[in-house]
Amino acid sequence: MENSTSSAKDARSTVDEEDRGNTTEQKTREEILFHEETIDLGGDEFESEGNETVSEDSNNFIDKLNEQMMESVIISDSPNNSEDDTGELGCLQEMVEQMEAKDNQNSRAEVGKEELLSNESETEHEETPKDISEIGTDDQASLKEESIQETEKDEPKLGDNIPAETKPNGIDESKPEDQISSPSTSKPSTEVEPIPVCTIFSQANNANAQPQLFLPDGFEPQMVKSPSFSSIIETPVKSNPQVVQPSPSLSKFFGDTVNTNTLASDFFDSFTTSNFISVSNPNASSSVPEQMSSLSNGGESSCAQSNPTFSVGNGRLEASGPQASLETTQSPKPFSQIQAVFAGSDDPFATALNMSELDRRNDAWLPSEETRNVLISVATQQYSTVFIDKENLTMPGLKFDNIQGDAVKDLMLRFLGEQAAVKRQVLNANSVEQSFVGLKQLISSKNWRAAVDLCGRLLTAHGQGYKKSGLPTNHTTDSLQLWFVRLALLVKLNLFQNAEMEFEPFGNLDQPDLYYEYYPHVYPGRKGSMVPFSMRILHAELPQYLGNPQESLDRLHNMKIICTKILENLEQGLAEDGSMTNITQENRQASVQLWRSRLGRVMYSMANCLLMMKDYVLAVDAYHTVIKYYPQQEPQMLSGIGRIFLQIGDIKTAEKYFQDVEKVTHKLDGLQSQIMVLMNRAFLHLGQNNFAEAHRFFTEILRIDSSNAVANNNAAVCLLYLGKLKDSLRQLEGMVQQDPKHYLHESVLFNLTTMYELESSRSMQKKQALLEAVAVKEGDSFNTQCLKLG
Amino acid sequence: MDVNQPKQEHLLALKVMRLTKPTLFTNIPVTCEERDLPGNLFNQLMKDDPSTVKGAEALMLGEMLTLPQNFGNIFLGETFSSYISVHNDSNQVVKDILVKADLQTSSQRLNLSASTAAVAELKPDCCIDDVIHHEVKEIGTHILVCAVSYTTQAGEKMYFRKFFKFQVLKPLDVKTKFYNAESDLSSVTDEVFLEAQIQNITTSPMFMEKVSLEPSIMYNVAELNTVDSAGESESTFGSRTYLQPMDTRQYLYCLKPKQEFAEKAGVIKGVTVIGKLDIVWKTNLGERGRLQTSQLQRMAPGYGDVRLSLETIPDTVNLEEPFDITCKITNCSSERTMDLVLEMCNTNSIHWCGVSGRQLGKLHPSSSLRLALTLLSSVQGLQSVSGLRLTDTFLKRTYEYDDIAQVCVVSSKVKQES
Repeated sequence: MENSTSSAKDARSTVDEEDRGNTTEQKTREEILFHEETIDLGGDEFESEGNETVSEDSNNFIDKLNEQMMESVIISDSPNNSEDDTGELGCLQEMVEQMEAKDNQNSRAEVGKEELLSNESETEHEETPKDISEIGTDDQASLKEESIQETEKDEPKLGDNIPAETKPNGIDESKPEDQISSPSTSKPSTEVEPIPVCTIFSQANNANAQPQLFLPDGFEPQMVKSPSFSSIIETPVKSNPQVVQPSPSLSKFFGDTVNTNTLASDFFDSFTTSNFISVSNPNASSSVPEQMSSLSNGGESSCAQSNPTFSVGNGRLEASGPQASLETTQSPKPFSQIQAVFAGSDDPFATALNMSELDRRNDAWLPSEETRNVLISVATQQYSTVFIDKENLTMPGLKFDNIQGDAVKDLMLRFLGEQAAVKRQVLNANSVEQSFVGLKQLISSKNWRAAVDLCGRLLTAHGQGYKKSGLPTNHTTDSLQLWFVRLALLVKLNLFQNAEMEFEPFGNLDQPDLYYEYYPHVYPGRKGSMVPFSMRILHAELPQYLGNPQESLDRLHNMKIICTKILENLEQGLAEDGSMTNITQENRQASVQLWRSRLGRVMYSMANCLLMMKDYVLAVDAYHTVIKYYPQQEPQMLSGIGRIFLQIGDIKTAEKYFQDVEKVTHKLDGLQSQIMVLMNRAFLHLGQNNFAEAHRFFTEILRIDSSNAVANNNAAVCLLYLGKLKDSLRQLEGMVQQDPKHYLHESVLFNLTTMYELESSRSMQKKQALLEAVAVKEGDSFNTQCLKLG
Repeated sequence: MDVNQPKQEHLLALKVMRLTKPTLFTNIPVTCEERDLPGNLFNQLMKDDPSTVKGAEALMLGEMLTLPQNFGNIFLGETFSSYISVHNDSNQVVKDILVKADLQTSSQRLNLSASTAAVAELKPDCCIDDVIHHEVKEIGTHILVCAVSYTTQAGEKMYFRKFFKFQVLKPLDVKTKFYNAESDLSSVTDEVFLEAQIQNITTSPMFMEKVSLEPSIMYNVAELNTVDSAGESESTFGSRTYLQPMDTRQYLYCLKPKQEFAEKAGVIKGVTVIGKLDIVWKTNLGERGRLQTSQLQRMAPGYGDVRLSLETIPDTVNLEEPFDITCKITNCSSERTMDLVLEMCNTNSIHWCGVSGRQLGKLHPSSSLRLALTLLSSVQGLQSVSGLRLTDTFLKRTYEYDDIAQVCVVSSKVKQES
């Protein structure tokens, strides 16, 4: 142990390791002993400042002024860490013998061993790059005492790995360490062999965890491998572009679940880590452009037939009939030869007035200075051409033609055979009316992929189809609504990358041609933005799902500024846009209400985004602000904040919030608040590690509301932690069978399949049964990953 | 999915799953307004979604618990919990089942099974469940060894085992630093300040429930991590009760030797054990961890035989203008009387005024003398007062005193203006 405490640690890591590679097993044994000592020795090894007796400085000043290094302290759990080291080798040896004994006939042991093996190499992959960097810093300077200390501390631990690995001739003798981490050199073929558990996992995990693993904790800096290992190292998994690849939305925002320590997960063969497959849609790939164009033609023609319904589908003020035929590419001069048509011609005048009041209120938006100028010039030069830079125009187009597909059916084909798959019937874009009615039908039946497709068709009919991006076009209320629906559904399907691509031509949603004033002939007298407010929210929220929450916050902040400004205008007796329009008190009140709730919605998104960024302090503040705008949601919001604190681990503050909820709901009565209080109590017990009590409270909720999905699911989860797997399964299965329409939820199914995997080796059949149930009830938007049918 | 089906030669299947705390399901809210194309469709979809919070569907953090999706990380001081399930996959009754779970670390082997008794029989499709817990006390490789033995209907004794390996990582980085407060009369320091930096080196936020210093028997400790404001003690860390990954917090403690030890000056000289830090933290849904540092040790400052300390010194002085300081010289030796000569050596910036090499006279043990000295600085800025040498003529030993104090030297103009 002495040498590791010496101050010349820097040089050790590289050289020593190689030395050790050649040592005999005795030495390895020593390493193990060392290891254990390190843990107990604690910080004794750090000598304090060298004090030369003769030069006696006045110490207190030095303390303050000289930058003295902090000393690293070894953490140990010393109080009851027993020191008995006898027999540890014996144990290892025994283990090995067992394994060897079984090696020939007992496949299970083999599996176990192989798991270890591939795990070992997995470790390699992850750590190599880090080591190098660490070593680099160690060499650099002695300022970084902490990193050196780290080296020193962790080193011994690796003692039992490294020698084994670096040993070029890992012969299967009774060298215990060798056996455990059997060097891959001795079994070159194992990597190739389909020992399923590990290989699958390592891939899945690599993809998820590798990028992050490098950053965080400067661990095991001293891992040095023999060159023979480096050959196994895979090139860093290329960040898959995840187009059409739904990511699991299962709470990835908390805890370290994302940064998984892959090492051990591989070993838990029963706990098949969810290796979500990307259900990429073949049609969405760009490698088949011909197919796409032909499809888009098809779409166009089919829409040509359906044009009438398209316009009839919305009985709104804005007539969209004529525009459909407008798609002949035009100069930016908008609609110069077209007469505006009021579709609702039989509407009484009063209704029209009222509508315009509503329109003004809802469509109000404050354009940027630049855009405002363009709009003014359009208004003043109505009959002459206004030239606008192409880059200031919005020219959207479908970026991918068809993401339609049914992952459930694909799985059925794979696991249940063609016959079963034929029975799977879901609506698709062809089977509904080619109109808003059909679109709504698809959405409510949860066939969102088909709905995205139908939106695409309708947009194609509008001239904004595939490959139309970058071509001049005109916008209508309906075309923007269609875009909103399409993009919103893409987000709902977790196809963020796709949504981003198609959002891109819209810029920051402030281009002049997105305002009604740009089309004075089509929308005479109408003002404001064509972009629905919800689309702005969607646009602002999107970057956070693509790993850029800062951009989301920026966008949300801009929205907040405009909403606040509009509210100011209203308070000052002006119209929303700051003009001097007369507004009745009643309408003003309604408008204030609308814009307050919109501002609240922006704050909501901000809070969610901050939560995603794990900036809990700000997130909690933001949720408090939301309460001001949505006072009716106070109990839910306070409970939510309480859960945030639970997630952080701050149980006391969580409890405080839960008590506040009880105070607030005390005034109200009713089932919902009662449930909320019980739910919070259950969560509190969960935070206190008391699963039995938590289960009691969840069950209590079920007594009041037997169909409460959350309570049902959570009670089942508690049962598992109490060691009652069968009971837990019974509860979940019962729930799913009782009301599959509501309970075939991703999270429930995920829990269920996880438990199936824990329960027996025959989880496959049970999962397939779930697939059948899903096939009957769920639309094409179902996220099949939760079934873990891999 | 033959993944989970190793060769079917054993009648029982052993499954293991680590039980980290469950997580809460988060959903992605997509809303629209009444007047938008979908009408209230999107909002209705969110209402129907069982994972949303009813009445506040746009709240991302739901209430639905989901089981851990992967092994995750395990850190020193945390509790390793695992579900062990042995399931009878066959269609025959199996007898005398014994399930044993051991944890092999690099230094020891622990038995984690709750019961050691054999189960008499296990019917088809039934299982034996066990949840094991173990507080992790070592860093590095751990191997969970699960062994199952049983007897088939035919009376054949069967046995198999499985190994699950995982790494235990270090959650915290702790660094400490001692500051000595000087006492007036003796050479023995009075108070010791301990500054501890605790860094979260995990990948998740960490709530610090307790960070306290358990002093050794010689000391009393006062924690200096709260500020009294309006009668309430407020944490110096404010409302941020948790540490983000890689965040560091600084804790401060003041240690005073207990009366009985303070008197026995000798005890506190040299290396002393100060105490240890006790750290309790919590993470996701109250997952708890606890660590203690090893005994923190400190080298008490040794002042040797002669100690020179400062009584007075101005903080700011004018450039090239003499100023006075008062030093105190103490004979710390136990029984030796000294005869001291003071030498003053100029440095680049500090120039001593007066005669160098003057006799200070005899100094008896444990007595001290005060000495007024004059000096000036020729360089602006923060200057270090150095260059005093005391020579004990009896032993011909010289003691050097450098960097005794710092003064701020300013141009005299500046001083006048201000």
